[in-house]
Amino acid sequence: MKKKVLSMFLAASMVATLLSGCGSNTAKTAADQLEAEGVGEIPVAEEQAPEETKEATTLDLSKQVDLVFYVMGDAPKDEEKVEAAINEKLLEKCNATIDMQFSTWTEFQQKYANEITAQSADLIYIANWLNYGQLASSGAFVELDDLLDTVAPTLKETVGENALNMCRVDGKIYAVPNTWAEYVSAGVKYREDLREKYNLPVPNSLENLEAYLMGIKENDPSQGLLTATTEESQGFQTGFDAAWALNFKYNWVTQNGLYYGLAANYDTPSDVYDYWYSDDFVDDMKMLKRWADAGFWSKSALSDTNNSESYANGLCVAEVAGQNPNKQITAIMEFKNGGHDDWKSAYVAYGETNGVIYPGHATQNGTAIVNGCKDPERALLVLETLLCDDEMNALIQYGIKGEHYDVVDGIYHNLADEAGESSTFPYEGFNTWNLRNGETKLPQATDVELQKMFDAYEKLGAKTKFPNVNIFDGFSENFESYSAERAAVSNVMSQYLAPLEAGLVTDVDAAVEEFRSKMKEAGIDKCREEYTKQWKAYCDEYGYN
Amino acid sequence: MQNKIKQSAANKTLSAFAYVLLTIGSIICVLPFIVIVSGSFTDNATIITKGYSLLPKNFTTAAYQTIFRSPKDIIQAYKMNFYYTGIGTFLGLMMITLTGYVISRKEFKYRNTVSFLIYFTSIFGGGMIPWYLMYANVLNLKGHTLAIWFPALMSPFLVILMRTFIVGAVPDAITESAKIDGAGHFTIFFKIVLPVLKPGLATVGLFLALGYWNDWYRSSMFSTNSSTWQLQFYLYDLLNATTAMKQMASNVSMKTADLPTESVKLAMAVVATGPVLLFYPFVQRYFVSGITVGAVKG
Repeated sequence: MKKKVLSMFLAASMVATLLSGCGSNTAKTAADQLEAEGVGEIPVAEEQAPEETKEATTLDLSKQVDLVFYVMGDAPKDEEKVEAAINEKLLEKCNATIDMQFSTWTEFQQKYANEITAQSADLIYIANWLNYGQLASSGAFVELDDLLDTVAPTLKETVGENALNMCRVDGKIYAVPNTWAEYVSAGVKYREDLREKYNLPVPNSLENLEAYLMGIKENDPSQGLLTATTEESQGFQTGFDAAWALNFKYNWVTQNGLYYGLAANYDTPSDVYDYWYSDDFVDDMKMLKRWADAGFWSKSALSDTNNSESYANGLCVAEVAGQNPNKQITAIMEFKNGGHDDWKSAYVAYGETNGVIYPGHATQNGTAIVNGCKDPERALLVLETLLCDDEMNALIQYGIKGEHYDVVDGIYHNLADEAGESSTFPYEGFNTWNLRNGETKLPQATDVELQKMFDAYEKLGAKTKFPNVNIFDGFSENFESYSAERAAVSNVMSQYLAPLEAGLVTDVDAAVEEFRSKMKEAGIDKCREEYTKQWKAYCDEYGYN
Repeated sequence: MQNKIKQSAANKTLSAFAYVLLTIGSIICVLPFIVIVSGSFTDNATIITKGYSLLPKNFTTAAYQTIFRSPKDIIQAYKMNFYYTGIGTFLGLMMITLTGYVISRKEFKYRNTVSFLIYFTSIFGGGMIPWYLMYANVLNLKGHTLAIWFPALMSPFLVILMRTFIVGAVPDAITESAKIDGAGHFTIFFKIVLPVLKPGLATVGLFLALGYWNDWYRSSMFSTNSSTWQLQFYLYDLLNATTAMKQMASNVSMKTADLPTESVKLAMAVVATGPVLLFYPFVQRYFVSGITVGAVKG
């Protein structure tokens, strides 16, 4: 009997091992991971940079320092070659070397957290989607306010006070952003050739989008219209992708409004109001129901997975969720590469209609110095050299001139790509988006079109109350005190909001009522209250009033 | 037909039922594989517009041509995988067998304490972060190939398996008589115990080998150079890069046009698993008998 029990135990433990092996942690954020592992506060190294006067001083460069630069993504093939070329120059200029280390795209959130806990890197890529704010306030990075003055005044000047201020966490600067203003404005990508063919309006408003889709449906009933799933709607703003189109109607501070069905207009960010419990919401849901009944998306849209290649292959004629100018450029290329020369893709940013348009936030691509860095001063000096020294910047961004790339008429050309081989060092091959220098960034052939779009957006953005300022993306929510309610709200969203927005309900009014009461049960009020408090404090801190 | 025993009706129904169930089961197992192979021979645009099918609709070998244009990476990953599997299985098997033998010996006074220390780790672990810090900061193994095969050399589960197997397969009388004949511990182990352990060695060895062959996690954590990657990580990262970059493209300007297509991904899977599939049925036999021997006799 004993033996049987033992063998059963063995079998059970085997199954348990298998199960735990399959569990995926990728959804967790870096900070969550740290917390789950019981690392509340990141250990701060004993050694701190010695106190210095606030004047620019010349660093003692007599000792060579070898730094590790941690970046996201996969390494290019010619990593070592380019690194050697960089280090040769870097030794001359700063008596330092860098070793690029890559997170790869597998479990990168976890590994990023590990890297910071282990303090093995010196310079590190930061971004808002890697929880820059939370990490900085838990002491992961070296404070840069004084160092910027003493060690790297050129860097401070190049980046500019405004951008640096956006990187402040609890009043201190912990990161240096890149200096290339990039517009990732959401919008609608559509087929210009079909629009011309059937003489339809440009889909630049809800009515025109509806007319455009209806027109195509009438002229070619077999043509798929919208690819809409729940994939671009995983957060706390929308439940179904088609709801992104509503951005044509509202001039909210960010696309899709604030979290938990709250909203605030761009001109008055701290004036938070309610959307889910308003009459507008009911009207919008009725409109989406009408679209669903007209067959704009499939009846199984809620369980479909997003096929990102369907637009490129002509399976749909518009995409409304998760788009940006760069995806439009990609689509143009994909049409060409796919042999569809007669297809034309065009793009309307929601901001062009609702008047709210702004570039990416400064914390979208930045560099920080990890606490525990061997020599923070030298690290900052190296960062300054890599970002501000044109020769070094070109080397780290594009590789070796003449071997990896060439410049013709001010346009970047990848030599391997043009010879039809796989590139050994592609454009921004080290994934150092944090080292983009707006002044000297070489455009690729496709960037010419992109830059035109950016220029147009910049003009529009200059007219807003906060000219070209991305307000929302600098905010990071701390949901510790209401994480249970938050999880419940998330469930209600996927259970009740998603079918509502996908128009898969028979009676919209009744479904809205049910959704609202379920939200109350889930504890939406607590989430909203805390969220509003934090959001208002954030607006106050940065002067967005 | 003199040996034929007449089967009762109930027995016949039972085996008929079992056969049907097994047939369905094996079809379920084989179908996805057929779809993968067929997809790898299908034109990418056809997969996108028409979906997957059992037989390739627009037959093309374009995906394989893409892969074998620069097969260096795959071959390197294969090489590393053989290296890790070989060295890991050999050393692991040695350590596990020796440990299992020692804690199965009654004359070893502290065997219960030692066993407890080993089993304890199977229930209580330090967690991922301490584990990572141990290898990365304390042992300084980050970037070493050692970090990839060393952590998996011993597992409490396999030590338990080995110990129970030794207890069942080697009666005390055998070792005692060897001792009386003047054999030392090493002679007993290598000449007497090891030869009767073959099924146990096969089981544990296969567990280890499969574990090494299929692992990707340690490459993900400790590799700093793609030439040391395990095969599974090479493939897994390829898929992850595609999804991650598509997702990120909504926030950051980056090129997403030359990511691997559906058919290339499927062809990758075929190239990577193909040889293992051929190899698997041959060792499966030992694997199954080994497991039952080890567990039941324990």
